Amino acid sequence: MSTNYEYVPEPKLVKGDHTFGSITRLIAKTPLAATPPLWYLAFAIANLLLITLLGAVAYLIWEGVGIWGLNNPAGWGWAIINFVWWVGIGHAGTLISAILFLFRQGWRTAINRFAEAMTIFAVMCAGLFPAIHVGRIWVIYWVFPVPNQMAAWPNFSSPLLWDVFAVSTYFTVSLIFWYVGLIPDFATLRDKAKGKVSKMVYGIGAMGWTGSFRNWWNYEKAYMILAGLATPLVLSVHTIVSFDFAVSLIPGWHSTIFPPYFVAGAIYSGFAMVLTLMLIARKIYGIEDIMNIDIMEKMNLVMMLTGNLVAFAYLMEGFIAWYSGYIYEQGIFWLYVVGPYAWGFWILMFCNVITPQFLWSRSIRRNVTLTFIISILVNIGMWFERFMIAVASLATDFMPSSWDYYSPTFWDIIIYIGTFGLFFTMFLLFLRFLPMVAIAEVKGVMPQADPHNYDEETQEFIEANAEPAVTQQQTVEQKNQ
Amino acid sequence: MSDEVQSSNYWKSLNELAQNKEYERFVEREFPENASELKDGFSRRTFLRMMGASIALAGFAACRRPVQKILPYSKQPEDVIPGVPMYYASAMPFQDALTGIVIENHEGRPTKIEGNEMHPASKGNTSKFNQAATLGMYDPDRSRNVMKDGEQSSFTNFQSFCEQHFGDTGRGIAFISESNSSPTYHKIKEQALSRFSNAQWVTYEPFGEENALEGTNMAFGQRLRTVNHFDEADIIVALDDDFLNPAAHKNSVQNTREFTQRRNVETGDDISRLYSIESTFTVTGSNADNRLRIKSSEIGLFIQALAAELGVGGSSNKFSDHEWISVLAEDLQNNRGRSVLTLGNEHSPELHAMVSSINVALGNAGTTVTYLELPYLDDQNNRDAFTEVVNAVNNEEIDTVVIIGGNPVFNAPADLNFAEALNSAEHVIHLSDYYDETSKMANWHVNRAHFLETWSDGYSYTGASSIIQPQIEPLFDGKSEIEFLNTIVTGDDTDGYQLVQETWRKNISGNFTNGWETILHDGVATEDNFPEVTPSAGGFSGDISQPEQSEGIEVVIRPDSKVFDGRYANNGWLQELPDPMTKITWDNVALMSPQTAEKLDIEKAGLGKAEVDLITIDVNGTKIEIPAWVQPGHADDSITVTAGYGRKGLGRVADAVGVDTYPLRTSGAMLFATDISVSKTGSGYEIASTQDHGSMEGRSLLRHATLQEYRDNPDFSQYEEAYNAELPGEAWAHEQGADSPLTIFDAIDEQEYPDYQPQWGMTIDLNSCIGCGTCTIACQAENNIPVIGKDEVMNGREMHWIRTDRYFAGDVDNPKALHQPVPCMHCELAPCEQVCPVAATTHSEDGMNQMTYNRCIGTRYCANNCPYKVRRFNFFNYTDEFLTDGDDPEVIQMAMNPDVTVRFRGVMEKCSYCVQRVNRAKIQTQIETDGSMKPEDGTVKTACQQACPSDAIYFGDLTDPDSEVSKTKRNNRNYLLLEELNTRPRTSYLAKITNPNPALTQHSTISNNEH
Repeated sequence: MSTNYEYVPEPKLVKGDHTFGSITRLIAKTPLAATPPLWYLAFAIANLLLITLLGAVAYLIWEGVGIWGLNNPAGWGWAIINFVWWVGIGHAGTLISAILFLFRQGWRTAINRFAEAMTIFAVMCAGLFPAIHVGRIWVIYWVFPVPNQMAAWPNFSSPLLWDVFAVSTYFTVSLIFWYVGLIPDFATLRDKAKGKVSKMVYGIGAMGWTGSFRNWWNYEKAYMILAGLATPLVLSVHTIVSFDFAVSLIPGWHSTIFPPYFVAGAIYSGFAMVLTLMLIARKIYGIEDIMNIDIMEKMNLVMMLTGNLVAFAYLMEGFIAWYSGYIYEQGIFWLYVVGPYAWGFWILMFCNVITPQFLWSRSIRRNVTLTFIISILVNIGMWFERFMIAVASLATDFMPSSWDYYSPTFWDIIIYIGTFGLFFTMFLLFLRFLPMVAIAEVKGVMPQADPHNYDEETQEFIEANAEPAVTQQQTVEQKNQ
Repeated sequence: MSDEVQSSNYWKSLNELAQNKEYERFVEREFPENASELKDGFSRRTFLRMMGASIALAGFAACRRPVQKILPYSKQPEDVIPGVPMYYASAMPFQDALTGIVIENHEGRPTKIEGNEMHPASKGNTSKFNQAATLGMYDPDRSRNVMKDGEQSSFTNFQSFCEQHFGDTGRGIAFISESNSSPTYHKIKEQALSRFSNAQWVTYEPFGEENALEGTNMAFGQRLRTVNHFDEADIIVALDDDFLNPAAHKNSVQNTREFTQRRNVETGDDISRLYSIESTFTVTGSNADNRLRIKSSEIGLFIQALAAELGVGGSSNKFSDHEWISVLAEDLQNNRGRSVLTLGNEHSPELHAMVSSINVALGNAGTTVTYLELPYLDDQNNRDAFTEVVNAVNNEEIDTVVIIGGNPVFNAPADLNFAEALNSAEHVIHLSDYYDETSKMANWHVNRAHFLETWSDGYSYTGASSIIQPQIEPLFDGKSEIEFLNTIVTGDDTDGYQLVQETWRKNISGNFTNGWETILHDGVATEDNFPEVTPSAGGFSGDISQPEQSEGIEVVIRPDSKVFDGRYANNGWLQELPDPMTKITWDNVALMSPQTAEKLDIEKAGLGKAEVDLITIDVNGTKIEIPAWVQPGHADDSITVTAGYGRKGLGRVADAVGVDTYPLRTSGAMLFATDISVSKTGSGYEIASTQDHGSMEGRSLLRHATLQEYRDNPDFSQYEEAYNAELPGEAWAHEQGADSPLTIFDAIDEQEYPDYQPQWGMTIDLNSCIGCGTCTIACQAENNIPVIGKDEVMNGREMHWIRTDRYFAGDVDNPKALHQPVPCMHCELAPCEQVCPVAATTHSEDGMNQMTYNRCIGTRYCANNCPYKVRRFNFFNYTDEFLTDGDDPEVIQMAMNPDVTVRFRGVMEKCSYCVQRVNRAKIQTQIETDGSMKPEDGTVKTACQQACPSDAIYFGDLTDPDSEVSKTKRNNRNYLLLEELNTRPRTSYLAKITNPNPALTQHSTISNNEH
């Protein structure tokens, strides 16, 4: 039996007839050009929401967490839901930039800067909630192991404490990783900037980058090491967030499936959020050549995979509830399905189980409008997933006598909406002042980046010189059929 | 009071100093008046004003906890050690029955009431009204002044008015009094009646014993008090009688103790059997072994049919063929002389007479039921006399109406139009705690002193006499009913102390000072009962008119189990206590069965549905609108409403809470009205219920069995039996030779439980618990638990450290209600401790799960992870709201227990096993025994344990094998709540045993595993 190897050319990652120069111009023009009026409008709306958030948080701290809809069985409500939701969204960035980097997925370059920015801002939104949801925010620093004369240490067996470390580490590493990736681009902007201030600011950001071989050598090493460091974090953060629930004994929380299920869910929602933002940004900023349909399809495939993992986890929850013979687990699953929060469960089922099934179709995967709708639905679904876990499980647990119904108040809702203000304020600043695509990296995946594949004279790409990027193995028998 | 505080020259905080007028002036003017001032833009004046603001800001910046300064004694009173409470014996009057109490007094502030073990009505136990009395005294809304025609006046003015007005002894005077057993009071009453030739005296209580007294009068020709000895009875038939409820029976504490004593399964004897025939699902009904739900208007028919079956008069009617009649008659005949039939107070005198005759015929009189002659009873039917007095007032035969206590404008039968009648009287004088509905109509209102503030005396229900001694100077300079009445009679403002002593000089033989002091010390003078009368058998022919068989819906009006007739309406602890059966707080509702609700198209409230339908109840044209509440187990075609709510201008707690139902109550229909119409109004109303779900959902949380089942299978309450499955992890533990299942967390082992420390544990005997809720109030009083108000309860944020869960089980149409008090379980492997990020909740060496408020940051993770849901969170600064708001917060601050931290917003709290009591006892033991930390068994009692009227709670040291609590842990009924979670709770339960009649089992038996 002989095997035939056939070369299947990878579609070009950057569409259109771009040179290095045109890429630089395309990306760098936004930070360096005058501010478009539409940006001001968007920024004003985002700012308004941000101010609302700040006001609502101030009122919360003044008055106490009683302004939320929390009650005795449901000690956690929207704050924790939003925390988990935003952290989940913040998963895509580092996954794209670190894991896909280590796996040499060239297509990541189109979106990694964008996704990382989103990650950082999403984690900022997420980090807000654990801080403000406590009863006495003025002593929140007690969760940090600060040496003190009373030798009062935090409780290292509490998942909430692990959370503190996990999320803060994740945020720090993501930020450094993002910044390191930005250094060559800062240098590009510094060199292209006309204004004195912008030159100086970008110059400081560039940390004296000269583009020398030694610069690039250090940069590549640092980037790789950070990618290596960030990779386990991608998996650990949401694993640890899931421990908040899984380590407890509440039916519906106490489940060993939670870590992988949460990570899959996080990637699912993170990709959905990147898609939502990307599909708008590529249109407005005219970078459809870089953030192209092929990239979108690849992301849709990731969503399809993780979405089905999540759906599988739901099914397993039901199965295990039955199989375990554990009456409380059975009780809570039954309550999910027909209980007081059944409406939430069925929204969740539609958004997270039915929706990803559409992605089996290639034409839907490549349809911008439908992808956009799906990405929104996925994020709604993922929010309801956390709602069901956090609220429905808590409100109806072991003692039926204590069962109660949780409903949010105005302040729950306004603080959630307000976090979009924080997120978009940051994101709009990012779009305005920083290169939204990693200029240096995206050049690296263009054909021009590999000089050996070009005819010196004609400047034409010689396919035969190229190494097979992807090989497809087919047996002769199959070929012959 | 507030004026005094403001004018005082001491200040409690910087803020108060800043508000002080003199200080303000001082700030304004640094230099003496007329001295020149600096005129620049930033003068010293503004600078100092800013300093003043900074004081406020400094307070604000550090306002994590309110800071207040206290002052030491300038002269140390004898015997008072600051921080060490004194205990005084006294008694609490409720109508004309005293319950002996012991009062904990901190530096002159009574803070907590316990039962007096030497007093026969208490034997150390209390009711929820006893427990709530301290807050009743520290109620800032109590009347603070004598009022003359609505204007502030003084007692001196009142005194001179009396001197002048009552100088004319020929006036037509009507005294309308509350029930009162005080010999001193009755002595002055006699004086009054002999002095004023045209005076009438009538005792009016909206809910009282009057019909029962008249019943014995009919049956035996003498007004006698009926005393049921539930500890002697094998068969108890409660006919619409909620004798375990303090609101329905004034001797409920003794009743409860005696009833539960006879239910003890440890003795090996059979336990008593309680039959309950009632319309409303009452606390007593929920403790019944067999319960029949019939309309209150048909109770008469039922009694007649039963009497006929027993051959004691009566007549046959629609109940004659009822299976209950024959079964009941047989059981009663088999237990002659060992049964009790008891009828609800408000039923007609004829029915009371009939029940008394049955008791006599069954040979119960003299054994299980005794009849006592009271020395102070009016020789008249007071209900009729009251009507006559009102008529006399209307006819302007009465010149002066003196109302001593009571609030007849609010609670007199509606058809008497009492308020209108008062307009015909020239002078109306009213003594009351609050400036209430009657006070507003009175010419003179005298503010009454609380029983904790004055001298008085009286008898218990069965006749033990006590002296009531004051614990504090009257907060608002009120007068007791004795002092008030004495002023009217003599014109003198004589101190109650003298008046009471005068009475007792005659009663005490030998050295008066010694005798007096012994009585004060013991809290009880004589345990002698009132003289017992042996009634002649068959004295009553049973010749009463056959009650009409009622068609359609009836409305039954009952006293409220929390605010009684309305007198406790301004007590926040009682208002916020969930009703034992409905779990409703801060409202009264119209209770009806699911079938009746269906007929009226009324929806049931439940999980996530707080809004219920408002209905209109129309009794002969008088209408009230009241929220409807579906209560499983209520009689069909019957609606129960409770009285005492719907107050206007009484106080900040009582106002606008609930609906006034007295307008429906007429002298012809004091208990029930039959000719009514009910309709939905179409609008809704939100109810704050603390329990939305009544089913156990097949979880074996509250384990119970019939006596027979228990005898057949003594281990029925163990996990294996309850679930028919092995306890998870037990097989593994057995293999490994371990005591208990594996845990990934460190079991708190011997090392951390030092030998020299006691190990605390609690057991709650569900067989004794009647579900009354006294423990909740006791805990609230002991542990400074805030009152949070209806909105917050509706938000599901009740703060009670011990709650009583009520589950319905069995037949949907005729369910059984079960009660389970749930405090913190003090798990050895506490799930809350493992998840707190800052280690604010930890274990003590003596095995208690402790809460460190100072360390708590309020993540609420512990509460989430608590499977028993006993942790309570301060969502707002609740204590601030009720301790510092209002015109005079100092009053309510005095009610706080100084041994317990007042919690600030944002921290978690929960049952502490009364750690302050435990540690006080440990320290005391250490001092007394030279180092032992193990107090003798019984020296530490938790507040709930001490208050419990049925002695259902055991607490003590588990390392002492002979301690009461250790014995209960070895009881075969002992089980752990959610044992399968391996939390290893220190609190456990003893399963409930019922004793239904097998002949009626189809409605009564329930097995553990059914939904």
